[in-house]
Amino acid sequence: MKTLIIEDERSLAREIKLFLEKAFYLCDTAYNAVEAKMLMIDNEYDFILLDLGLPDKDGLELLNETKKMCPGASYIILTARGDLEDRIKGLDLGADDYLPKPFSLLELQSRMQAISRRKSGNNDSVMQLGDFSIDLNKRSVCFEEKEIELSRKEFDLLSYMILHKNRPLTRLQLSEHIWGNFSDDDYDSNFIDVHIKNIRKKMSAHAPVDWLQTLRGIGYKIKI
Amino acid sequence: MKLLSKLTLFITLSKLLIVVLFVLLLPSLVGYVSFQYSNYYLQQQKQKVLSEIKHNGIDYYLQGDSAYASYTMLKEEYISILPAENNRVRDTIETSKRVVGEDTLTYRILTHELTGTHKNYILEIGKTTSTIGEYNNLLQRFTLYVLIGLIALSIVVDLIYTNILIRPLTKIVKTKLLNRKFPFKEPLSPIKTSTTDFQILDLSLIDLMEKIHEAFDKEREFTSNASHELMTPISILQSNVENLMMEEDISDEMQDKISAMMRTLNRLKKIVNSLLYISRIENDQFVKSDTVNVHELITEMMEELSDRLETKSIQFTNAVSKNVKIEHVNHDLFFQMLYNLVNNAIRYNKESGSINISDKHLPDNTYQLMIKDTGIGIKEEELATIFDRFKKSGKEKGEGFGLGLSIVKSITSFHGFTIEVSSEYGKGTVFTITVPAYLPV
Repeated sequence: MKTLIIEDERSLAREIKLFLEKAFYLCDTAYNAVEAKMLMIDNEYDFILLDLGLPDKDGLELLNETKKMCPGASYIILTARGDLEDRIKGLDLGADDYLPKPFSLLELQSRMQAISRRKSGNNDSVMQLGDFSIDLNKRSVCFEEKEIELSRKEFDLLSYMILHKNRPLTRLQLSEHIWGNFSDDDYDSNFIDVHIKNIRKKMSAHAPVDWLQTLRGIGYKIKI
Repeated sequence: MKLLSKLTLFITLSKLLIVVLFVLLLPSLVGYVSFQYSNYYLQQQKQKVLSEIKHNGIDYYLQGDSAYASYTMLKEEYISILPAENNRVRDTIETSKRVVGEDTLTYRILTHELTGTHKNYILEIGKTTSTIGEYNNLLQRFTLYVLIGLIALSIVVDLIYTNILIRPLTKIVKTKLLNRKFPFKEPLSPIKTSTTDFQILDLSLIDLMEKIHEAFDKEREFTSNASHELMTPISILQSNVENLMMEEDISDEMQDKISAMMRTLNRLKKIVNSLLYISRIENDQFVKSDTVNVHELITEMMEELSDRLETKSIQFTNAVSKNVKIEHVNHDLFFQMLYNLVNNAIRYNKESGSINISDKHLPDNTYQLMIKDTGIGIKEEELATIFDRFKKSGKEKGEGFGLGLSIVKSITSFHGFTIEVSSEYGKGTVFTITVPAYLPV
């Protein structure tokens, strides 16, 4: 997947690039609108991550102009402005998603993956996890054709951890994904434990779930 | 009592008092005046008589008699000239009885000694007191009517003038003080008046309100700008930490530290996010164009929170009437408001406690929502400050930020609702949201 990061904060652009490259995205970075346009002329991108507060041009204007240049690309708006109007305008102009700063890189990747899945149809939505098969589109977990009932939040948690498999995930990162920016720190983190306990209970009735590891004092990890 | 009513009352009463005083004093006043006047009249008559006598000589009147008397037909007045006795009489005016013709009447009498050619005479000029009294009554009645007429006129004039005079003040009270809502957003125009006191009052009020509004605006702008400026560095830091955490082969100890860093960072992020959210609400960046069905909204919210209720075995009742709809609100904000309140109700509840949301319509068409919990309650001294930013009621290991309720407060003010809280420490808390009959669009 080829990704263009348009972000004038160099250190943030660098971190996003570093993170996405580990998840096997190919990344280019542009620090302003002019650079971004040059890169878009020469390359075809699957994803364009667009900061609205660029030094030489308003991000929304750039989006409007470049939507025609890269019709196949999926746009995700990143912004510290966080105006609701910007969000509506951005989505109207054809952006696929909108992430207010500060955002978690895990969340960014999760949104990118959701967009890919939406665009590619049902093709790659089924994953194997130990003896279980998980369909991200149908939101179902099956053990040997038998469906295991998970609550909405439990499924969200499980799929988020599968996406970020082999990475330590803190309770905070998990609760932020489930409850958004207003998640309530320690209080919400405790509920993550409750959810994980339920997932373990429901799934281990069918097969061992030793792939779901607890990291003492930190959080959880799915190891495959 | 309003100033105008007080003034009206005072003006009317004081005028009435004057009328009463005047009516009481009138008889004696009129009596005095007519007394003085009849004395003056007698003096005048005396002068005339003396000049007649001087002209014609006294004998012309005596005609050989020793005395002379003359009176009018009805005996209201008489004149007599009698020989003087030895002792000399000085000029006097007195009231006394005289026999005139066959009648004995009371007269006001002027006595004067005349010096004749051979001997001295006494001149008496008299006027009956009853004629004096007749004028007296007529005068009294007439004066009273005129007075009452004048007083009535002056009351009317006074009231009209007072009304006009006070009108600017009434207007100031109406436009500047009543129905004004903090933070006084609408611009104010000074009231037209030529009374400098009112001008000063009006201008000072406008000035004060503008200052309050400006200070409020500055604070809001600062919060908004500061939060924005903070977002980018926090964003960079968060990405840094997240990348760091994924590094292979870092020790458990390091992992712990990174995780702790992330928690602190998250705390910072949450504060900034909440402040920005509040400042956006206060900046009117949300549109109030939704209509919410309260019952459905609460059901929707309960799904979101059901796992928390289960974990704590809390009994939840949605007793809100099914068909209540509120217009001109922002759906997301309304949801957030109830979510924050119920989330708190769960958080500070006891195991196996309960939460009850009910509603009622008041006679004046306002609508109330009550969120009642059986939680740990709030101490009385803390009730006043729970909606303030960054005030936290000492419990919960100092980790809370107290912004959840500030957000609730901003959302209620934004919509024109009011929120009240009552609580019994150790027993539970009730939050009451009042939705006025007509919401500002």
